[in-house]
Amino acid sequence: MTSRRQLLKSAVLGGGAGVLAATAMGSLGPEAAFGAAAPDIVPGAPDPNFAEGRIRSVKDNTLFVLGSNMVFHRIRVVDGTSLWKLGPVAFDQARPGDGLYARGVRMPDGVLAAESVWLNIVNIKGHVRNITSERLHLDHNGQEIVCHQVPGKSVAVYSDAPPSADLSLLRVGQHVQVLGAWRPDTNQVDIATVFSPH
Amino acid sequence: MARSQSADPPRDLLGPVQGEVSWFCCGSAWGPCSSAGHGACGTCNSGSMQHAWPNTSDACLSITRPDSCGVSLSRRTCGFTHRTTALCTGTSVVTSIADCGPQTDLFCGERSCCGATCASNRLLDLTPAAFSKIASLSAGLRPAEISVP
Repeated sequence: MTSRRQLLKSAVLGGGAGVLAATAMGSLGPEAAFGAAAPDIVPGAPDPNFAEGRIRSVKDNTLFVLGSNMVFHRIRVVDGTSLWKLGPVAFDQARPGDGLYARGVRMPDGVLAAESVWLNIVNIKGHVRNITSERLHLDHNGQEIVCHQVPGKSVAVYSDAPPSADLSLLRVGQHVQVLGAWRPDTNQVDIATVFSPH
Repeated sequence: MARSQSADPPRDLLGPVQGEVSWFCCGSAWGPCSSAGHGACGTCNSGSMQHAWPNTSDACLSITRPDSCGVSLSRRTCGFTHRTTALCTGTSVVTSIADCGPQTDLFCGERSCCGATCASNRLLDLTPAAFSKIASLSAGLRPAEISVP
């Protein structure tokens, strides 16, 4: 059976049938893509099928990304690639200056054919220092992060309860985990999910 | 105050343990992660197949305190490998210890579920490269089984 990874590879190499087949199999979204077979990476080693960094430029369907370790990446987005920026978004939402993590298949020419691209995603833990209208002020390792509630997007998960749009149960002094989208070059984050232990 | 010690052997010595798994950034990074550093082992990088473990040393354990949630975990040091299997998908990843964490005591009793399958307490944090092998980074937190490969 053809794997999703093989389909991605085929799509990047110009096999239009691969893209069609991938779409027919369903979304190549992040949750769906994890069943794909990939060679095991030695524990502790860098994963060649993963990239992080900030977008320097966007040309056609390729993101030119400078890794924080100064390694340069070319990340190819195809029809089935899943993009996230506070939620699922289209490719045109990827902008120079955005931070990203990407997972896919490294092609022989060094291009990463992306299964998933997460734009500006952060997952930070900290103490709630203050709560104001629509904002959560977080102490994250001594650094203040201002987390914005985004109507229709932000939810809170209180332990194993279903996600709720009601963030009013959060309390100053408690510890939380905020998954969200960083606003580039600021200390501000738009909230996707706040995880609260109670 | 003296740390409470259980007479029972650590749970993970008897077999796989189930708990919550999240992700964290380390090494060279952008945004709020830019001050993260390379972790307690000095080797941690977001793009590597690594994880944080709550009992890498006495100093580490005094911060993470899984015992305060009723969880006893073995002392395992930098480079030790664990297999983490997502209970949602059954996919797994093998990673090595590169940092101390998560701070289990701050989330005592928290529970994550996939349908009827649940796991309690934060036992391990994966790097983004590792977490994205078993779940979407946008999931943030997942119930998982942790074992020795």
